[in-house]
Amino acid sequence: MDNISIEQSERSPGVEFNFENNSFSLKGESYPEDVTAFYGPLLDSLEKHFDASNGAKISFTFDLVYFNSSTAKILMGLFDMLDEVAEKSDVTVTWNYEADDDNMEEMGEEFGEDLEKATFILNEVAIV
Amino acid sequence: MLARDMYDFRDELDEKGIIFCYSGYITEAILSGIGSALKTKLALEHEERARTRSLFAVFVEQVQNVIRYSAERIPEGDDENHEELRYGVLIVGKSDEKYFVSCANLIAQEDVDRLNKNLGKIQSLDAEGLKVLFKQTLKGETPDGSKGAGVGFVDIARRASHGFEFDFTKVNDTHSYFCLKAYV
Repeated sequence: MDNISIEQSERSPGVEFNFENNSFSLKGESYPEDVTAFYGPLLDSLEKHFDASNGAKISFTFDLVYFNSSTAKILMGLFDMLDEVAEKSDVTVTWNYEADDDNMEEMGEEFGEDLEKATFILNEVAIV
Repeated sequence: MLARDMYDFRDELDEKGIIFCYSGYITEAILSGIGSALKTKLALEHEERARTRSLFAVFVEQVQNVIRYSAERIPEGDDENHEELRYGVLIVGKSDEKYFVSCANLIAQEDVDRLNKNLGKIQSLDAEGLKVLFKQTLKGETPDGSKGAGVGFVDIARRASHGFEFDFTKVNDTHSYFCLKAYV
């Protein structure tokens, strides 16, 4: 599958999906006008890729500073997908949050605590 | 008199601590524009980053509620596939050291009960209860009549460090006016 690289904008996150290396990341702010239009194709490509990969070493990194509630719903679905993939592959999910951002830390905890099979890393990073 | 009238109007807003006041059709582009001006203003005043983020989050959820649900719209009627405009009033201000975001729009009479119950329930919950409801709502199916996650009000409640108020006033047999004011 061709890699996906979308530049970060004011309202949508930067996307780096490297299917060959099984390395994926979302970075920045997320409150797109239409969450389904933005995330729909991305989630489809992930699903297709994961369906065809067994025993892979997969790394998914979240570097988000703000997301709205519609995005939260998408993220919840993505976490579910990743945990399912972890049944047959080695999945590590990293959630980075800026040092002073209690809310983003809490969101990471809340999403992360539902992961049963995937490895979850909650990681404080310095304020940019 | 033009300038005098406008100055008086501006003065009245100023006295109430109003920073932004918008009444009209609200679009996603307006959300972006006012949102960015709001962030800039708070950054220039060296407002705490955490507080700025909370205020911005409440602002986004409130404005998207108007854009998605205001019953005052053109064209009238329910056709989700066409371009439309929805009318609302948006106010952002600061008084007694608290920021507030107040949004108001027309809603159908039949939605008043559901919204009233829903918001009453959210208002009665503590931080832990809100956390649980937030997750439940994210995991559940999107409620009928909701275009977003249906979790916007819970998010507002979680971010509004000084709580929120809301009420309704009946406009005619078919519609009421709805206002929600959240404090950060």
